[in-house]
Amino acid sequence: MNHIFRRRGIVAGGIALTLAAALIGCSSASDDSGSTGGTSDDVTAVQSIRSMSNPYHANWADGGALFGDWADVEVVTIVDEGDSQTQLSKIRALGAEGKVFALNVDPNDSSTTEAIVKAVTEAGGYVVTQWNKPDDLWPWDVSDNWVAHISFNGETSGEEVSQALFDAMGGSGNIIALQGILDNVPAKQRFAGLQKALEANPGIKLLADQTANWDRAEAFSVTQTLLSQYQGQVDGIWAANDNMALGAFEALTAAGLAGTIPIVGFDAVPEALENIQNSDETGYIATVSTDPWWQGGAGLSLAYQAATGKIKVSELSHEQRAFYGKQIVVTLDNVGDFTKAPLLDALKSDLENPFLRSQGPIS
Amino acid sequence: MTHPPTVDERRLSPRVRRLIADAGPLVALIVLIVVFAVANPVFVSPGNIGILLSQAAVPLVIATGLTFVILLGGIDLSIEGVVATSSLVFALTVANDRNDLALGLFGALLAVLAGSVFGLANGLANVKLGIPSFMATLGLGAVGIGIATVLFAGRSPRVLDSGMRMLGQGSTLGIANIFLIAVLVLVIGWFVQRFTRLGRYGYVIGGDEAVARLSGVRVGRYKIGAFVLGGTASGIAGVLLGSQLGVGMPTIGSGTMFTAITAVVLGGTLLTGGRGGVLRSFVGVLIIVVLANGLILIGVNPYAQVAVQGLVIIAAVVATGWRLRTRVRIIK
Repeated sequence: MNHIFRRRGIVAGGIALTLAAALIGCSSASDDSGSTGGTSDDVTAVQSIRSMSNPYHANWADGGALFGDWADVEVVTIVDEGDSQTQLSKIRALGAEGKVFALNVDPNDSSTTEAIVKAVTEAGGYVVTQWNKPDDLWPWDVSDNWVAHISFNGETSGEEVSQALFDAMGGSGNIIALQGILDNVPAKQRFAGLQKALEANPGIKLLADQTANWDRAEAFSVTQTLLSQYQGQVDGIWAANDNMALGAFEALTAAGLAGTIPIVGFDAVPEALENIQNSDETGYIATVSTDPWWQGGAGLSLAYQAATGKIKVSELSHEQRAFYGKQIVVTLDNVGDFTKAPLLDALKSDLENPFLRSQGPIS
Repeated sequence: MTHPPTVDERRLSPRVRRLIADAGPLVALIVLIVVFAVANPVFVSPGNIGILLSQAAVPLVIATGLTFVILLGGIDLSIEGVVATSSLVFALTVANDRNDLALGLFGALLAVLAGSVFGLANGLANVKLGIPSFMATLGLGAVGIGIATVLFAGRSPRVLDSGMRMLGQGSTLGIANIFLIAVLVLVIGWFVQRFTRLGRYGYVIGGDEAVARLSGVRVGRYKIGAFVLGGTASGIAGVLLGSQLGVGMPTIGSGTMFTAITAVVLGGTLLTGGRGGVLRSFVGVLIIVVLANGLILIGVNPYAQVAVQGLVIIAAVVATGWRLRTRVRIIK
């Protein structure tokens, strides 16, 4: 436990102090790993995430801590509070330290990804990126220092969570759909997943689909309007994220219908998980999680194994260097796995083999 | 009236002409209602009318406050930030899942007061520091989002006070409470505008600030007052949204500012100040809410909705302001 607290201390330092302070944090971390021994004294394991104050990234950092326990190394976490310039300069500072580092990063945007992988290449570190990447930029085109890019295919999970909704409806009935910002990639993928599921379930009819722009208040009023348009006909609500699903849930509550109409969303935000725990009363059937503990643990493990030479990047296939991770549909049955960090044993095989959950190449 | 009269104006008495111009937005609203009702009878069903009224509530509250600021020729761009802060103050001071406070109605009043304080800061920055209201309110709006984000701390506090939830979710005698509250705000707004110095001098200052100053009106004081009214209205909106959605969130007010400014202008209050009023803004709010609701009901493609909304709004402004074209008026 002491281990974790020390790591937390370093994190807090990174948040509270400036770049210089973050550097001191790094060097003290590497001293520690030196004293614990092991095969790879010279590699620093680093997470770069947006902030510790949002639950998603806090879970990501906890996943990294599990990796640290497993590999017996200190893990440094750097945060940028959503500022791409801060993120980039903190990563550049890692290189200036002159040690080999393994970096698992959630870049704030696609253009930052490019700058990060170039900076890491110059510094001779090893990096695994997740989520954002320019479409035409691939790890093998840049260098062997950019080990891999991991993303998630909303279409597959969209299909699975839609199926969960249809099952809860008994395989027949009418649904309404709340879309995200219409030209947004995850919004499109998730909706494509819904349409696939609709093809496979001829008993389900999509009454209407409207955008609520990922927004909770907008989802509230759009749901109100659709409920009045199709009074008594709506048997299920599909939303492209939990934020909108929660807005729809409040609209159902205001209409006195909460619990009678099943709802699904995406992203596994804590409020959605709470509602799923009481799905009998709330009607909130399912959401989708990318498993942030896996993203933090397996992603860092992949970068670390490349840095220590256990994985030879030059021998990896394209499919291994740009792949989709597995998303998991969260329902009442497994919601307990997503409200707290997994035990190390449960994540061990993914840490040993970071490709275990690969769902195929990013296309 | 020094300009040469147009054909229309020669035929009609000034009184009738003014009536036609004033009724413009109302006519546009009625046309929209008739079109939607014919296209889909559900639009005028009692259920949908109830929903329309509840959807009009938050924009109405904000637009009422904003009208006072715009009447002076100012603008309030801090709305979304103030709504965000207010929603979090509300969610964190009534019974919630974050702390042990359970102040009930007093918590709601604190949240409204937070809005008033922002309004006061807007007014002081504008009047005492001489920062154009555009910049001052934009900056303080960012402050509002910042404070909200700090209070948010990565996770929405949930409102557990069921009484407070009824403000936004419940109904009385079949009418949504949220709409009743909004109407109360409108009535107070109308009273202030009609019967108080703050309201009356607003027209004078908005009409010509220099003249007002020379006439001995304490312009600064009334300007600050208008900003306080605007901030207070945004604070009330934050409470209503927090109550309706059951959470406080930094993004809870997103989109409210655009709706409110559009509603005020659509209703016929001039952005340059000096003419308009809260009842006009009410009509403007109804036009926007009817449009958003109706376009969904008649099945306009979601991709096209925003574009159609924009076009109808521009058409409505042109139609209602057609008479003004002939005046010597500079459009900035």
